[in-house]
Amino acid sequence: MPEALFQISEPGESRVKAPCPPGMTRAIGIDLGTTNSLVASVKDGRPVALVDDDGEAIVPSVVHYAADGATIVGRIARDQLAPRFPRDTIASAKRFVGRGPSDAEAQRKLTPYQFAPAAPGDPVVRFQVAGGRTVTPVEVSAEILRALKERAEAQLGEPLFGAVITVPAYFDDGQRQATRDAGRIAGLEVLRLLNEPTAAALAYGLDKAAQGKDAQGLFAVFDLGGGTFDISILALEKGVFEVKATGGDSALGGDDFDRAIAGHFLQELGLPEDASGDRALARRVLDAARAAKEALTENAATSITIARPDGRETTVSLTRTAMEALVRPVLARCTGPVRRALRDAGLSAAELDGVILVGGATRMPLVRQFVHEQFGREPLSDIDPDQVVALGAAVQADVLTGGTGHGDVVLLDVVPLSLGLEMMGGVVERLIHRNSTIPCGATQTFTTYADNQTGFDLHVVQGERELVDDCRSLARFKLGGVPPMPAGMARLDVTFVVDADGILRVSAREETTGLESSVSVKPTYGLTDEEVERMLLDSYAHAEDDVQLRQLAEQRVEAERILQAARAAMAASPELLADDDRTRIDAAIEKLQVAKAGQDHGAIRVAIEGLDVASKDFAGRRMNRALEEGLRGRTVGAVEAEVEKSEAAGDLASRLERAGHAGHSHR
Amino acid sequence: MSCWSCQRETGAAEKCASCGALQPPELTADHFRVLGLPRRFDVDLKAAEARFRELSREIHPDRFATADPRARKFSMQRTVQLNEAWKILKDPIRRAEYLLSLDGWEVGAESGASRPGAGGARERLPVPPVLLGEVLELREELADARAAGDDARVQKLARDVRSRADQAMAKVAAGFATAGSSAERAAALEPVAHELIGIRYWKRFLDEVAVHDEAEEARRDDASKGSARA
Repeated sequence: MPEALFQISEPGESRVKAPCPPGMTRAIGIDLGTTNSLVASVKDGRPVALVDDDGEAIVPSVVHYAADGATIVGRIARDQLAPRFPRDTIASAKRFVGRGPSDAEAQRKLTPYQFAPAAPGDPVVRFQVAGGRTVTPVEVSAEILRALKERAEAQLGEPLFGAVITVPAYFDDGQRQATRDAGRIAGLEVLRLLNEPTAAALAYGLDKAAQGKDAQGLFAVFDLGGGTFDISILALEKGVFEVKATGGDSALGGDDFDRAIAGHFLQELGLPEDASGDRALARRVLDAARAAKEALTENAATSITIARPDGRETTVSLTRTAMEALVRPVLARCTGPVRRALRDAGLSAAELDGVILVGGATRMPLVRQFVHEQFGREPLSDIDPDQVVALGAAVQADVLTGGTGHGDVVLLDVVPLSLGLEMMGGVVERLIHRNSTIPCGATQTFTTYADNQTGFDLHVVQGERELVDDCRSLARFKLGGVPPMPAGMARLDVTFVVDADGILRVSAREETTGLESSVSVKPTYGLTDEEVERMLLDSYAHAEDDVQLRQLAEQRVEAERILQAARAAMAASPELLADDDRTRIDAAIEKLQVAKAGQDHGAIRVAIEGLDVASKDFAGRRMNRALEEGLRGRTVGAVEAEVEKSEAAGDLASRLERAGHAGHSHR
Repeated sequence: MSCWSCQRETGAAEKCASCGALQPPELTADHFRVLGLPRRFDVDLKAAEARFRELSREIHPDRFATADPRARKFSMQRTVQLNEAWKILKDPIRRAEYLLSLDGWEVGAESGASRPGAGGARERLPVPPVLLGEVLELREELADARAAGDDARVQKLARDVRSRADQAMAKVAAGFATAGSSAERAAALEPVAHELIGIRYWKRFLDEVAVHDEAEEARRDDASKGSARA
């Protein structure tokens, strides 16, 4: 990590963004839903959903990719383009975000989509759309986010500072990373990923408080959306929203009701349950199922006309009772997570003060009845289940950008799924347990299994099962260069830190050599850095000027930082500079200065990387010397300090954890 | 200590008395100190939870999202430290094991416990054979009851084990209360360590009962759905 060496001059400086510049105080909250999305913002101390010219707050999460390369998002895409171009119009992309081609979601038979054949080892689902293009779920999500961003900019009349984007509480690390990537690609500064039920509780609690009513105590948030189910148990007290436990199923929602109903319709029509791969038919039947489900919220019976593949139309009727019989087995899958969440919180349903309903699917009478059965009480329904998540996200965005309206509010959220490492024999050693309050960290010491083992393969997994194969693989990385020693002699401290977004960072350090390695976990099922980078660059082609300008400004700041650091390092250790080093580094510095004076942030980025490459050997020598000096008899503490300074200074809590480790030796 | 931001004296508070900047955490502070509690087993959980929330409100990274990078880093470190401290202290078993660890003890079920002995060697405290015998017997009974689908018997065993765990926990509390800080502390802690070894086994037993309960509840749900359909 040569670039990090240059930060020796400013060890305490983290690489996070500079505080909000004047004039850019608008922060928004986005509910990026499976079926529908919304954007909200705090105005005059209260969160409001931003609406379009027709007064409509909801943007259907549907993106159409036209043959000419244009993209169309929202109502038109859903109502007009999806029926005509089912393959090229992606709905429910959220169900594929952060998932791989072998995940169940991408293996469904009844689907309007065409998946691009998975290249060997490609971990990402790709949709084949018009014009020979393939798009990833992250890119589809980015299109929706971009549409919401444009709406917000048009209405707020000023450039946005950043956004809080909500995610299902039960999203794993890979799904969170992918959502963050989508935000970046849309040109949004993602201030925070916020769990949907937590956002809902925040909006609900503050709304009650604003009405002068008491909203303290223990609440369950039952959040059943289009594609995901979350259950969270929270304690609300004096502005502190503390999540006690969370659970759910990130592949369970109203969509699954539609599928169950669609399957029934196909049966009625005498057609095979996979619609024989007829995408247009799949789309029509799924849409008919959704329409029937919605009609049956109000009515006891409904009938719906579906065009067969040969064009003949057939009208099928469905009663609410029959629909509920189809849906009930799907809904029953909520039972386990509800029970587990209550158990993890150490509570019984009777101890709760209320149950808050969130998500469009909770409009169904059957779902309300189910919640009543589960919790033994009537759920609270005086909030709009469609808007409450976006409103909560807007409040959190306001809090994070120093808005004063909500003074003392703080959210204490949790890790939804345990995080651990693969041990010999394919078993999981958990470092962070589910429902731990974030941010949190843990350090565990491991040792070598075989004599003369010179490296460690670290495999990071997430899940509750004991065997690695049953858990979600998040990342793999290696720590090599360990000198040959008898088995059990090397000591590897592995530190997990989960930040306030719920995203994991792992670092490892071998005690006897001081070797370090650290990764922001790049999900095994995610996009590569290069892909995100390319998508970012692609998106600039369409992006507005302010995005360009901000990018340019950021790259200039970054360039200046690197230039200063490089000069300082050269001045500090001139004896380590070989002649050709100096020539190479000087040339790279010159190039970066030229780029920095220009208007192309991409060129600056390239020049920064150029300087990085040019100074690699020099940086390596500085690193080696630091280590050698240590081995020549400086105290271990001094070496540690040196190495520590050389690691990415943003590696926040690793030092804290290491210090704390001594006190944990009972583990 | 002088403040990193304004260079004036800060005192011991988390925020600088002069400029209000968040100060770096004390990295070696034990969990009790982090929560401002006396270092003893007996903890007023309600007061401690109130303190946890109050501190969270003060130092949570969300409150420093637009602050100086150093303040942000300290906020993150302090919050990680606080969350860890509260996780350990709110749970009596973890709290007891942690307190023992502060005295140099280690408690682990399979290996028994150990404490620092003379000359840096570790002195082992093996798992009492009587306890092992009891545990084996109870686990066999649990396995039999589960195999026979006898939920009532499982629940009876669970009640039995729960009461053993409660009694052991009471002894742990009493042991800590009498150990004091005297020269006999090491001797006084020995029975506490013994009880904690037992508690680990009882807890694992009850975890297994919880797995059984979950399976049992799921089975009942299926059964009631089946009868509703019929």
